Amino acid sequence: MKIKDIMIRDVTSVLTNCKLIDLIEILSRHKITGIPVVNHNQEVVGFISQHDIIKATLPNYLGIINSGSILCEFIQLSKNLKEYSQHPIEEFMRKNVVTIDEDDNEVLAADLLIRNKIQRLPVLRGGKLVGVVTLTDICRVLIEKNENTVN
Amino acid sequence: MIATVTLNPALDVILEVNSLKLDHYNKVHNTHVTSGGKGINVSKAVRGCGRETIAIGFLGGDRGRVIEEELRGLGITTNFWHIEENTRSNIIITDKTKGQHTLLSEPGPKVTEYDLEMLQSIFYRVMSQCSIVTLSGSLPRGISADIYAKLVSIAKERGVKTILNTSGEQLIKGLEKNPFLAKPDLRESNQVFGIKIDKEKDAIKAAKEVVQRGAEIGVVSLEQEKDIIATRDELWFAETTYHKIVNLIGAGDALVAGLAVALTEEEKSFEEVIKFSMACALASALREEEEFSSREEVERCLKWVRVNKI
Repeated sequence: MKIKDIMIRDVTSVLTNCKLIDLIEILSRHKITGIPVVNHNQEVVGFISQHDIIKATLPNYLGIINSGSILCEFIQLSKNLKEYSQHPIEEFMRKNVVTIDEDDNEVLAADLLIRNKIQRLPVLRGGKLVGVVTLTDICRVLIEKNENTVN
Repeated sequence: MIATVTLNPALDVILEVNSLKLDHYNKVHNTHVTSGGKGINVSKAVRGCGRETIAIGFLGGDRGRVIEEELRGLGITTNFWHIEENTRSNIIITDKTKGQHTLLSEPGPKVTEYDLEMLQSIFYRVMSQCSIVTLSGSLPRGISADIYAKLVSIAKERGVKTILNTSGEQLIKGLEKNPFLAKPDLRESNQVFGIKIDKEKDAIKAAKEVVQRGAEIGVVSLEQEKDIIATRDELWFAETTYHKIVNLIGAGDALVAGLAVALTEEEKSFEEVIKFSMACALASALREEEEFSSREEVERCLKWVRVNKI
């Protein structure tokens, strides 16, 4: 089965200059955990997830030592997030982004998702974003295939 | 890819009852929930023709996510900007006994300047993947009437053909930016540019004015499945010869979808483009509820379409 038959046909994405605060709002309104970052021609140039946001705002060791107490960590975290909120997401996104072509198959997609420990894989046609595929989509297809074979 | 823009979509909730009694307890026998909005309808018909389409516009809240899910299920790509307020809903009460339909329409959500800026950014990016875009329907609160004019300019900058299907101020302003094709939306009033569209000569006058005001092609619909198509040098008359119509709602959007599909198929002559779009409208009018789902349905309708150069 080809990826184009199982992918989520949604190309919601953001530009590199999107502010971190706006990105959080977009993820929350769409109820998604991560989003492809594109240029003006819908070519994927990065990927950013909630994981990357929290990773960027975690206090470093120096920050913890200077805070004087472990209990200050949460305050430090939210202070960092506030400080970075106006920064462009280009600073926090993953640039070596893993993608898949819409004509590839679900086995390759599953392998890429597992090996790279990622949740969402941008799907491309001619280098441009046409959808995303997740492990949930692949599991659904595998179960349906299995049921059909049994039947 | 064919893009469609729906700035004011809706979630249509159709409730079927028998003998609706006002100020009384009524039992609903059947409920049908579907996405609505002119651009979304165009995308559904384009998909029905077997072509790739991407729907963009504003959605909000849980209703917005229901619409997105439905469209993706139909194989339509989505790239909506999610606004803070909920997408509006239309409640349609269908009284099966009396054959009456009562529509309760909510006002659209408020759209902010920021939302508009984000939509224009999405539109600019999506245009890099498309060859034609349709701009259809009414505007939500908070949007100025020049929005379609701005989108036509962006599309032209990206080398994408535009089809404008709206009414009032937004049609007039949009025409100033020279869209490829424009079709006035006559649902709320059968008047355009002060011309009342009653007879063929009125439609001819209006179609010519659409071209005069800036579009390369002007399309004006008359009742009973007739259309006048004007270009700078030519005038065409198209009609369907099959009159057992089931449902005219959405036929205009299917016509726009047919134009978008046929205009991107280079081997088609202009006469064939008109014929195909009329066949799409007819295929849609022969369906009671959902949009037609195969190109064969459209092609079967071609034999009931008559096109003449005037």
